[in-house]
Amino acid sequence: MNPAATIAAIVAVSIASLAVGAFGLRFSRTVSDFYVASRGVGPVLNASAISGEYLSAASFLGVAGLILARGVDMLWLPVGWTAGYLLLLVFVAAPLRRSGAYTLPDFAALRTESQTARRVASALVVAIGLLYLIPQFQGAGLTLRTLTGAPSWVGQVAVAVVVCLAVLPGGMRSVTLVQAFHYWLKLLALLTPVFFLLVALASRDGADAVGTLGAVDVTDWVEPLGGDHALYLTYSLVLATFLGAMGLPHVVVRFYTNPDGRAARRTTLVVLALLSGFYLLPILYGVLGRLLAFDLVASGRTDSVVLELPSRVFDGVLGQALTALVGAGAFAAFLSTSTGLVVSVAGVLSQDLLRSGPGHRHGIRTFRLATVIAVAVGVVLTFLSVNVPVAHAVELAFAVAASTFCPLLVLGIWWRGLTAVGAVAGLVVGGGLSGSAVLATTFGVDRGDWLGVIISQPAAVTVPTTFATMVLGSLLTRGRRPEHVAQTMVRLHAPEHLVLNRGPFHPERTTVHRTEPTARRG
Amino acid sequence: MSKEAVSNEALEIEDPNIALQNSDDFIELRTKFRKFVFPMTAAFLAWYFFYVLLAVFAHDFMGTRVIGNITWGLFLGLMQFVTTFAITIIYVRWAGREFDPRAEALAQKMGAVK
Repeated sequence: MNPAATIAAIVAVSIASLAVGAFGLRFSRTVSDFYVASRGVGPVLNASAISGEYLSAASFLGVAGLILARGVDMLWLPVGWTAGYLLLLVFVAAPLRRSGAYTLPDFAALRTESQTARRVASALVVAIGLLYLIPQFQGAGLTLRTLTGAPSWVGQVAVAVVVCLAVLPGGMRSVTLVQAFHYWLKLLALLTPVFFLLVALASRDGADAVGTLGAVDVTDWVEPLGGDHALYLTYSLVLATFLGAMGLPHVVVRFYTNPDGRAARRTTLVVLALLSGFYLLPILYGVLGRLLAFDLVASGRTDSVVLELPSRVFDGVLGQALTALVGAGAFAAFLSTSTGLVVSVAGVLSQDLLRSGPGHRHGIRTFRLATVIAVAVGVVLTFLSVNVPVAHAVELAFAVAASTFCPLLVLGIWWRGLTAVGAVAGLVVGGGLSGSAVLATTFGVDRGDWLGVIISQPAAVTVPTTFATMVLGSLLTRGRRPEHVAQTMVRLHAPEHLVLNRGPFHPERTTVHRTEPTARRG
Repeated sequence: MSKEAVSNEALEIEDPNIALQNSDDFIELRTKFRKFVFPMTAAFLAWYFFYVLLAVFAHDFMGTRVIGNITWGLFLGLMQFVTTFAITIIYVRWAGREFDPRAEALAQKMGAVK
């Protein structure tokens, strides 16, 4: 197959992303722009950006691959990712936004009033971000190798370079536009080939396309949850995906870009529509793959089913065009998720670990330095890591997020009893346990017993453990509640246009937001 | 809120924030939120976990075909997207109709400027 069209399409996507980003750059003026687009992005644009960022290599390539290989069991992955957003909206989004913290470490510092909690949270953001970055870079390597025959490192380095170029000039504002553009590109890139494939099937087999799909041998496929320990594995997966979404640094930060709580709710509604609509497509690819490309299961290349399907059905120009489109969409997936992750990781790195001096100029320069560091480390880790299937690698990142930030956010927002000691203990225990499970999986530890089962899907054990540790640690240190906890709780829960003293925490470090307790007047 | 927490705050009772937090209106607002959101969450989590139970213990039912290769398992699985979306719509509408006006009224009462 002639890869010229595919390469051209991928280059075009990269250039278009940079161009859209440069357009956004004109609006990017302040430090606040850099991190959260000055909180002034409309719901539909913001929802497209959120979805664009959320739909990663795992969604674009991995879900179809897993459904092809393992059947309807894997429906849980997209369902969990979608429903995780709902939990995020109901329990976390509005209070977190009102808190005024830019990042999860900011939130940890605000709520627990402890620098230790802040540093532990920073380390976890960087760890989860890098963990999630690896499958994105791997996916890029896989895509270029499948479509053009280039070695894996070419795709990995290419994505890394484009991500740097996209993030360096414009920060979050330019990223918002780029990611919104990527959502629609990804949707189009999956929708168009599916349309052609279904039409081709229909004309090949008469008007009986439904019958053709119906004739796929699915006896081992339609019955969900085969295999041993199915109940534990599925519950664990469900827990990780439901609770992990709220603990992903690049997802949470997106909610700051809404102008107010009402807009945040509307945004989430649009996001859920966009996500559920998108997730029907990988499922279709999985089914079609069962029909047209079953050999991929035997050869262990299920992750490339989306990339290979068009060229298996169509020859000539049409086949090349559709393949190029899918390649472009896949690249958009790697680029958008990676840029979001890099912005979050770099934000935390520059705020907490590299802060060099006060002021706007310094802030942006450190942010840029942090960006380069984050991308470079991500690439090195990708070179070192074993190839875990893309979607499973992402599941593991979700498990770590669910075992650390989810308890911190839920308890921090809804329980005034949480103390710094409890929070830090929970983060360390949850992060340590889930992190070791991830490392064990990544380095191929394979045990047949229950411990092995738990290691492969740790969330059902580690999430309750973290909650218990935080509660227990807080109860033991009851006398050491944060000094301003009452004010903080008001800040988190009072309607946001109430003008009142929300406490001394002002991450934007401007004087404008310093409000006096005018509520006394009433 | 525990008794002990209240006594902890007795020292700070001068602060209008604390006064607000202990005011009947604010407590009512918070109760209203919890009464709606907690049962709703419990219900939808129950529905998701029930699906997994069905899938494991009611293989035959989930494998029964509705149309063509669409089994009950696949159908109910796809329905989970629909439920998620429906719940979000219900929540957003509830928040717009019930919660925001009350929060607004509270804000007015507390002498907010905007």
